[in-house]
Amino acid sequence: MVHNQDNTEYSIETINLTKVFRKKKHRGIFGFLKKEKEKKDKSSDGKKDLTVALDHVNCKIRSGELFGLLGPNGAGKTTFVKCISTILIPDEGTAIVNGFDVRKETSLVRASIGLAIGGERSLYWKLTARDNLTYFASLYKMPRNIIKERVEELLSKMNLLERADERVEDYSTGMRQKIVVARALLHNPPVLLLDEPTLGLDPTFSRQIRSQIRELCDKEGKTILLATHYMKEADEMCDRVAIINNGKIVAVDTSDKLKAMVKETELVEVSCYNPPSDTEHYLKSLYPDIEIVTLIPGNEAEGTPSRIKLMGENAEKRTSKVLEALLKKDAKITNVNIGTPTLEDVFIKLTGAKLTEGGAG
Amino acid sequence: MKTNIFIVWSETLKNIKFLAAYPVIFVFWTIFPLFWFIPFVLQGQALVGNIGPSDLWKGLTGNTEVVPFIIVGAILNGYVLNALYGVGESIREEAYQGTLDYVLASPCNKAYVLIGKALSGSISSTIYAIIQFIVCVFLFGVTITAWVIMPVILVIILLILGLYGIALMLAAVSLQLKQAHEVAHTLDYIFYVFAPVRYPIQFLPFWAQVIGQILPLTYALIATRGLMFNSESPSQIYLSIFLLLIIDVAAILVGFYLFNWMEKRTKKSGSISHY
Repeated sequence: MVHNQDNTEYSIETINLTKVFRKKKHRGIFGFLKKEKEKKDKSSDGKKDLTVALDHVNCKIRSGELFGLLGPNGAGKTTFVKCISTILIPDEGTAIVNGFDVRKETSLVRASIGLAIGGERSLYWKLTARDNLTYFASLYKMPRNIIKERVEELLSKMNLLERADERVEDYSTGMRQKIVVARALLHNPPVLLLDEPTLGLDPTFSRQIRSQIRELCDKEGKTILLATHYMKEADEMCDRVAIINNGKIVAVDTSDKLKAMVKETELVEVSCYNPPSDTEHYLKSLYPDIEIVTLIPGNEAEGTPSRIKLMGENAEKRTSKVLEALLKKDAKITNVNIGTPTLEDVFIKLTGAKLTEGGAG
Repeated sequence: MKTNIFIVWSETLKNIKFLAAYPVIFVFWTIFPLFWFIPFVLQGQALVGNIGPSDLWKGLTGNTEVVPFIIVGAILNGYVLNALYGVGESIREEAYQGTLDYVLASPCNKAYVLIGKALSGSISSTIYAIIQFIVCVFLFGVTITAWVIMPVILVIILLILGLYGIALMLAAVSLQLKQAHEVAHTLDYIFYVFAPVRYPIQFLPFWAQVIGQILPLTYALIATRGLMFNSESPSQIYLSIFLLLIIDVAAILVGFYLFNWMEKRTKKSGSISHY
């Protein structure tokens, strides 16, 4: 545990945490000849071959806090979790987890954390739920008699006791995800690292998993790092949220305070079908005084309209003109919303990108 | 210590349960050994004219029995195949299905997990070896003297230990290359050609004998055949066992060092997560 000057206890603290991956080049059958050529070519820039997945990340997570790490796919969330869980060794900086350094005290860090990454695939499908949990518990050096009790307890907690002796391959995705969460709790760790725990789940199972995660924090005092790209998940569940993009944490605060960064008068959201294909360029060229124009494509076949977000001091003033311009291009406007910012808006304001966009590592 | 033994046991049990999940594998491995060594027997027959006691075969190998000579080679080589393809392949599968991250992120010493993997491989090898031997008893009337059973088991255990070291090296290669199958295949042929599986090592050219003499299978075969057929002097058998022991220690030490080094290297490069 790390204590700050204000005597706040932190369960996780990262100090300039940096991770760089070297991109693999696929050079084909005669690639070794090209490699030699590249070596001779002094002008080639080595930095182009590198992907900075985490860029000097400094972050403190309080003990007993449910902390969200929100970012699009490829923002660096999984790399962050893997560095903290000792699966990857950072290139620069370090992290202190439950008072232990991830570089120097790996075994103690590992014993302090419960990990849920990789989703349903990370189980042995040919084994039963009970066998899976018993096996992983043995890796945490738990005594045999305690393992039996603990596995029973967790299966009961996850409402899986009746089907505990069926093979995991016969489970639904939601049931498997419950086993993944149960596995993280086997050794009763003070810190939980959960990477996209509700990915691919139907709404019912998502709700169940989310409420179980919240309970772990509220009733058992666990410190939870929840990496997600679901904006609502971060917004509704987490005590504080860090927004991560391109390996950098761009903002950390409570959800309400983050949303307050976007003024109500500075945000307009137009929902419509059939928006122009070049909406962003089209509207920016007509009204360059609108700072940010972002199109979030919908799914017309499923009845979900596209959303166009306008941000900046002149967004509200320009609304009627923007609507006219869209109608001219045959867009069918279904709704106009002024001034109810979401975390997605904060993300767009801070990064200029969408939460659905990909990036590095 | 108790918890570490439990880790080895859990890993072994897990792998045996995987095997049990595919019953067809057991059927396959019951029939497969027959096809594996019958060509060798026929080859021996073609060479010396019959599969019974042969003076010509004695002149070549030091003992008169063709079939037992070949069977010992086939059975011990089975352990080699399992060690080469078992642990490395298991690491690759764990990485591919996403469970390797959990094994690596647990606080236990990974050596015990690897030992468990190797042990389950040895257990299945032993089951196949017993099946092979029973088949030989019924088909070819092979016999074994009771007093050599224990020393032969000891030699097999020593062979298995040396193979664990090689399996660890292959597991390390698997972490880095992701696909160690080709390396295992190459090693398989090195063992097959340079160890006296089908012919005495003296038949190889000098340079090939040198390669053969660093393989644990060579000494295991010399000692086992020496014990079973009285074809070697006691001092030669003791020397083979001693050299096998030295290779075991070296292979296990190098294997563990290489695996730990490669684990660190892949965690640093990030390639451990790129399956």
